[in-house]
Amino acid sequence: MRFWIVTIRHACRNMLLTWKAQGMTLFTVSLSVLIFSFFYLVYINALHVGEKLGDDLRLVVYLDEEPAPPLQEEYRRRILKFDQVDRIEFIGQEQAYKRFEQILGKNSDVLAGVPIDFLPASIEVYPVRTLDSLARIKRFSDYLQTMPGVIKVQYGKEWIERFYAFIQLMRIITLLSGSLLIMTTTFMVAHTIRLTLFARQQELELLRLVGATNNYIRTPFLLEGALQGGIGACCGLGALLLLYNWISLQFAGPPTTMSLPTFAFFEWPVVVAIIGLATLLCIVGSFSAIRRFLHL
Amino acid sequence: MNLECSPPATMIDLIKVSKIYPPDVQAISDISLTVTKKEIVFLTGVSGAGKTTLLRLISRMEKPTKGMVDVAGMDVIKLPERDIHLLRRKVGMAYQDFKLLPERTVADNIAIALEVVYCPRSVIEKRIRELLEQLDLVRKYNTRTGDLSRGEQQRVSIARAVANYPEIILADEPTGNLDAETTARVMALFTQLNHKGATLLIATHDRSLFQDTPHRIIELRSGRILSQSEARENDSDDLFETAPSLLEEIEP
Ligand SMILES: Nc1ncnc2c1ncn2[C@@H]1O[C@H](COP(=O)(O)OP(=O)(O)OP(=O)(O)O)[C@@H](O)[C@H]1O
Ligand SMILES: [Mg+2]
Repeated sequence: MRFWIVTIRHACRNMLLTWKAQGMTLFTVSLSVLIFSFFYLVYINALHVGEKLGDDLRLVVYLDEEPAPPLQEEYRRRILKFDQVDRIEFIGQEQAYKRFEQILGKNSDVLAGVPIDFLPASIEVYPVRTLDSLARIKRFSDYLQTMPGVIKVQYGKEWIERFYAFIQLMRIITLLSGSLLIMTTTFMVAHTIRLTLFARQQELELLRLVGATNNYIRTPFLLEGALQGGIGACCGLGALLLLYNWISLQFAGPPTTMSLPTFAFFEWPVVVAIIGLATLLCIVGSFSAIRRFLHL
Repeated sequence: MNLECSPPATMIDLIKVSKIYPPDVQAISDISLTVTKKEIVFLTGVSGAGKTTLLRLISRMEKPTKGMVDVAGMDVIKLPERDIHLLRRKVGMAYQDFKLLPERTVADNIAIALEVVYCPRSVIEKRIRELLEQLDLVRKYNTRTGDLSRGEQQRVSIARAVANYPEIILADEPTGNLDAETTARVMALFTQLNHKGATLLIATHDRSLFQDTPHRIIELRSGRILSQSEARENDSDDLFETAPSLLEEIEP
């Protein structure tokens, strides 16, 4: 208990001593957290949208003639070989006709006189609903195309691929901004801690002489790092929340189909995780500064 | 066994200690010295004789080049870095160059020695007032030590050294900048601490400090023990006889 009171007092004194550098560090940490969490938020929401899209993601393999049961087995075997495939379904010509009739509804009378086998038989392939399978969908369809008896493979729409490219891009940007966060925070924190260490060099040596333990001397600096990380992350996320609310207001207006219903802010655990991560990074930063510049 | 009959415990034990500062300054050569508990020893000698170096070896501010140093039951040379604080808490040192923090107040400077052992604030406050009273510095409680005179700074450094009631007090030239009356105050403080059980090692040029003392006097020259007077048992053990009134004032 006493230990923590003394440690906190020392940490506060340190931070007052180098308040300019502290301000700069806090700003840098906040900004890095803001940038990272912004992209991460966009990425998470895009993933969300992607999962929704996955629902009507399916490949339709049109066959030139209705396959006999042994041939069906052969198709099933060759398609299910892929881990990406969740399940497949055979649609006979008659079934295709019935579906079409259903789709037409009350206009189904236009089908009068059309032979029941005018639609080709097909296999519907449902991929596993992950983004990876989304990525491989093109190659997979190319493969299906090479199977004997296949006329054509149809899948999703082109924009699914574009969307996937977007998600890929977001993933890369998020990773980049994450590394930026790691570098700036650890670097800046290490820098300010170093300044504090130099500013208090004389006192730290004296503390050692009058019988302070290593922990007594070091912990305030680790606490300083933790505070910079924690407070910086809170500021960054706060700014992001403001930004989010502002954007939501811009898009609010009358509820149309074009509104952004799925765009949500981070869940609490994610908020806590980001703050925790930033804090941890800054502790690492101050630890490395102590390791290098504090010679007891 | 009766405690009073048991041989006094050894507090400081140096065996054939040498210290060579790089590249080849022989500051201490082959010194052996034993100081028992509650003893007071004066260390004297010309400038550059090695007094400060000897004290620094005892508080592990330096490691000897050769020999063995044993302080308060600890092998000082083998003491690992992370345990040095155990030694430093038992040894209070008043440095020749004071080592005060000039930007901090007198009270803060003394408090440091008590804060590192997690003394409660109230105890720290009380102890600081008590010491300042004894050293006639009460008015300077909130003064930056950088603004003090040399003599005042010296007393602050002494107050910090003894604040935590260390078992061993190493005083390096404690009265170098003090007048006779203030010197008497400092010596009275030392006597009081010695009565409470502290072992003292006082390095000084000031012959008046140990002229009629019953305590042991060791004279160094070029890093060797030149002469050593034995302690006289029967004399009074007051350090400084000139100011009995002061002693009364300090020791109620
Ligand atoms: N850090 C050091 N590096 C090199 N030589 C040193 C160092 N410290 C002390 N010396 C040398 O060691 C010798 C003993 O010095 P020391 O400070 O112990 O003397 P002293 O008896 O305390 O002198 P004074 O009475 O002037 O304080 C001197 O010759 C000094 O020049
Ligand atoms: Mg000296």
